[in-house]
Amino acid sequence: MSYRSVSMIALVATLAAPPAVLMAQDEPADDTTTEAPATDAAPDTDEVAPDAATEDAPAAEAVEPTEDAAEPLEEVVDDEEAPETEATETDAAESDAVTEDAPEADAATEDAPEAEDDAAPEAEEPAAAEAEEPAEDAAPEAEEPAAEMDSAPEAEDEPEAEDATEADASEEAATEDSTAEDADTAEAPEEADAAPDASMASVLPDVGADWPFYGGDAAATRFSPLDQITAENVGELEQAFVFRTGDMPSEAADGKYAAETTPLKLGNDLLLCSAKNILISIDGATGEENWRFDPGVPDEAIPYSASCRGVTAYTNPEAAEGDICATRVIEGTLDAKLVAVDAATGAPCEDFGENGTVDLWQDIGERVPGWYAVTAPPVVVNGVLITGAQVKDGQAEDAPSGVIRGYDVLTGEFQWAWDLANPDNSDGPAEGEVYTRGTPNMWTAAVGDEELDMVYLPMGNSSVDYYGSNRTEAENEFATSLVALNAATGEVEWSFQTVRHDVWDYDLGSQSTLIDYQGTPAIILPSKQGDIYILDRATGEPLTPVDEVEAPSLGEIEPDFISETQPVSAWHTLRMEPLEERDAWGFTPIDQLWCRIQFRRANYDGYLTPPSSDQPWIQYPGYNGGSDWGSVAVDPERGLIIANYNDVPNYNRLVPRDEVTSVPINEQQAGEGSAGAEGAADPQAGSPYGINVNAGWRNEYTGMPCVRPPYGGIRAIDIETGETVWDRPLGTARRNGPFGIPSYMPFNIGTPNNGGAVITAGGLVFIGAATDNLIRAIDIETGETVWSDVLPAGGQANPITYEIDGRQYVMIAATGHHFMETPIGDYMVAYALPE
Amino acid sequence: MTDITSHSTRGGGWAVTLLGWICILLGAIIFALGVWLIALGGSWYYGLAGAGLVVTGVLLNMRSMAAVWVFLLTWGGTVVWAFWEVGMDWWAQLPRLVAPTLILVLVLLCIPALARRR
Repeated sequence: MSYRSVSMIALVATLAAPPAVLMAQDEPADDTTTEAPATDAAPDTDEVAPDAATEDAPAAEAVEPTEDAAEPLEEVVDDEEAPETEATETDAAESDAVTEDAPEADAATEDAPEAEDDAAPEAEEPAAAEAEEPAEDAAPEAEEPAAEMDSAPEAEDEPEAEDATEADASEEAATEDSTAEDADTAEAPEEADAAPDASMASVLPDVGADWPFYGGDAAATRFSPLDQITAENVGELEQAFVFRTGDMPSEAADGKYAAETTPLKLGNDLLLCSAKNILISIDGATGEENWRFDPGVPDEAIPYSASCRGVTAYTNPEAAEGDICATRVIEGTLDAKLVAVDAATGAPCEDFGENGTVDLWQDIGERVPGWYAVTAPPVVVNGVLITGAQVKDGQAEDAPSGVIRGYDVLTGEFQWAWDLANPDNSDGPAEGEVYTRGTPNMWTAAVGDEELDMVYLPMGNSSVDYYGSNRTEAENEFATSLVALNAATGEVEWSFQTVRHDVWDYDLGSQSTLIDYQGTPAIILPSKQGDIYILDRATGEPLTPVDEVEAPSLGEIEPDFISETQPVSAWHTLRMEPLEERDAWGFTPIDQLWCRIQFRRANYDGYLTPPSSDQPWIQYPGYNGGSDWGSVAVDPERGLIIANYNDVPNYNRLVPRDEVTSVPINEQQAGEGSAGAEGAADPQAGSPYGINVNAGWRNEYTGMPCVRPPYGGIRAIDIETGETVWDRPLGTARRNGPFGIPSYMPFNIGTPNNGGAVITAGGLVFIGAATDNLIRAIDIETGETVWSDVLPAGGQANPITYEIDGRQYVMIAATGHHFMETPIGDYMVAYALPE
Repeated sequence: MTDITSHSTRGGGWAVTLLGWICILLGAIIFALGVWLIALGGSWYYGLAGAGLVVTGVLLNMRSMAAVWVFLLTWGGTVVWAFWEVGMDWWAQLPRLVAPTLILVLVLLCIPALARRR
C-alpha cells in the first residue's frame, strides 16, 4: 500500500528519503491513482509504514522565510463585529425554538403504517409512491406537503431578509442564506405549525453551537459564527479530549483506509461515521461514547478507500421530541446502502426502508463489491434524501451507472432517479433492466437548496476516464458538470460544464457553496482544475466572467474527440502557470536531470494536453486538484473564500490494449482486489487503452517528486473582486528529512493536502489536510499560522467547530490517508480553551 | 616519522583516488544523461557540468592541482546557471547547489594532498 519507497537506489536513496508527500490525491474516485503506487512501488520494497513514507527530503536547506513561524508573529486582532455576536445568540434562540416545536406532531402514528409499507419489497417502487410525488415529495406523511409548501413562501421572504442585511452591513450580504434562514427560523416558532409558513426550514438547524450539516450550514459555507477562540487566545488552545472509533484496518484492508470524516454536532452530541461506516454518537464535551451502530460493511466492499466523509441528520417536523427517529442520522455505506438510525439511541429506524436500510444496488446490476460505494453524505432537500455513489474508476466502460436517486427521507421509499442517459428511467428501469451503465457519477457531496427546491450535483466523469470517443451525447453533456436537479422530481433544471470531453479524470470533487452574490442567489463552484466559478443558482448562468481558451491538440489518440476550446474562469483560478523544464526537481543533480529528461520525453503543451500512448503525457494540474473534496470555505462577513489546493502534476500514459495486464474489478478473483491497487495500470476494459497514472509525477527510482515544491497551498480570495488577498504554502517539512527521519523543521514547504477548512467569526481558519499531521489555526486577515498542534495521525479531513455550555470546541478526525501516506488512525480530536 | 608521513600521505592519496573515481562515475552519468537531454532539446548545463566533473576526477587521479581549478570553474558555472534559472527560490536551488557544493568542499580538502604530491 503505501507505496513508499524506502529502499531506493543507493545514491539517491541516501538523499532522498521522502517523497511520498507528493502525491496528493485525493479522492477515491480517482482510482486511477491506484496505479500511481504501482509505478512507485516497482523499484522499491513497499513499506507499509505510512509514516516513514512521508518524509520529504528537503531537509535542511531551504528556508521559507515567510512561513515557518508557527508562532503568532503578528497577532492581528480580528474584527469584532457585533453582528457575529448576535448571530450566535440568534442561533441559540432558534435551537430552543426548534426543540419546542417538535412536540406538536405525533408522528408516531404515521410512522407505523409506513414501516409496513417499507417492509414490502422495494423492488418496484409502488405506483402509489410515485403518484404522490407530484403532490410534494414527502407524500407519505400527511402533513409534510404542507411543510414543503413553506419553502415557497420562504423564498419570497428571503429577499427581504437579505436586503435588510445588506443594507446594514455589506459584508454580511453573503450571509444571505444563513441569515435569511435564521430570520425565518427565528420567526417560525411564533407562527408555529399553524401557518403553512411554519416552514420546514424552521426545522433546519443553524450552524453555531451546532454543526448540523456536513458543510456546517445548509449552504455549505463551512463558516461558524462562534468567536470565543480568536487569534489572540488561540495559543492557549489545548486538547479537550480524544475519542477513538476503534475502526482500524484489518490485514486485508491495510493500505485502503482514508476515513476523511467530518462529524455533525447536534445538541450535546457529535454524530459521525468511521471509515467502514460504523455510526457513532459521542458526547461533545467529554468524548464519551453514547452509542454505536455497525452496519457490518465487509472489507471487500472497500473501493479505492474506506472513506465515510460524513453523515446527514434529519429531524422529522411531525415527530414529537422523544419519538424514536424524531431525529435520525443517515449515511451511505461502502456496500451501497442507505442506513438510518435514531440520533438519540442509535437504534435503526424501522420505518426507513427495511429495518432502517435501503439497498442502493437495486437496479444497478451485478453486485461487484467495491465497484459501487457511497463515500459522501447524502443530502436532504424538502424531505427528499438524495444520493449518488462512487463508481470505482478505471475498470471498464461497462461500469455501474452514475444514476442519482431520491428517496423519502422518512420511509426510504424511492422517489425518483436521474439516469442522465435515459429519462425513461426516472421511475426506475423496466423489469430486468438496469440504469444506464458507464454514465458519469457523483462521488462527492451535493448541496441542497430548499428555497428553489433544487439539489446541485458536482458530477464526475464517464467510465472510463481517459478515453471518450465511444461516449454518448448525454454523457458528454453532463460529465464533469455541476447539475441542478429539481429535488422533488429529479428533472434537470440546468447544468454547467467545467471541461468539455473530459479525458483527464477532472471529476468535480468539491461540494459547492450557496451564497448571495451581489444580490443574486448564487453558487460557488470550485474545480480540480483550480477554476472557481460563481453561478446564478436559479439558472446556472455564470455571474463571473468565463473565458474560452484554445486547447492543445498534441495527442493523436482521438483528435476528433478532443475539444478545440475549453472554458476557464476569468474571475479566479488556483491553477498555476504551465510547467517548464526548469521546474524539474529532485534531491541531487542526477535525479533532477532524470526528471528533466522525462519532461522532454513527454507530450506536454500546457493545461489540458490530450492523452497519448507512444509517449507519456503530463497532466497539470493532476486530478488531485485544485480544489477537491475538502471544498472551499466562505466567510460571508468578511467576504472571503478560503481555498486550499494542490499544485501537483500527473505523469500518465495510455497503455495499448495488448500491453494491459490488469483485469477489471468484476473479473478479479476474490482477494485479488487489494493487490490490484499495486497493479501496473487500470484496465479501462472496453476502450482501446488501459491507463497508467503516475500521480504526483514521482521519480520512479527515488520516489521523489519530479517537480519543485510547493505542492499545495491555501489562499484567501475576495469575493467582490476575485482577487487574491493572501496566498501561502500549506504544510511543513517536519515529517520530512533524509533517511526518512523526521526533521521537525517548521519550514513551510507546502505539501499536498486533502481536506478542507473551517472559518470562525473569531477570525481564524482551522485546517489539517497537509501531510505534516498538523492541525493549525491561520489568522484569516494575514494568512499567518497562529497556532498548531501535532495530530496522532494524518489530518485528512474537514474540521468543525461547535459550542457546548458556552465553550467553543474545534474538532478534527485524525484518521490518516493511505494515498497521502500519512499514518492511519481512528482519532477524533477536540480542542478548546482552558476552562 | 617518515613512516607516519608516508602512511598519512598514502591515506590522503587513497581518499583523493576515491573522490577522483566518484567524480568520474557521477560525471559520466551526468554527462551521458546530459547529452540525452541536449538531444531532447533541453538544457546544455548537465552535459557541460558532467564533462567538468569527469575531467576533475581524472585530474584528481593524476594528482594534478588543475583538478581544483577545473572544479571551481564547474561549480562557479553551476552557481551562475542556477541563479539564472530559478533565482532565489531556495527549494528549487536544493538539487542545483547542494551536491555540487558538497563536492566542492571535498575537492578543496584534497588541496593538501595534491600540494604534497607536487
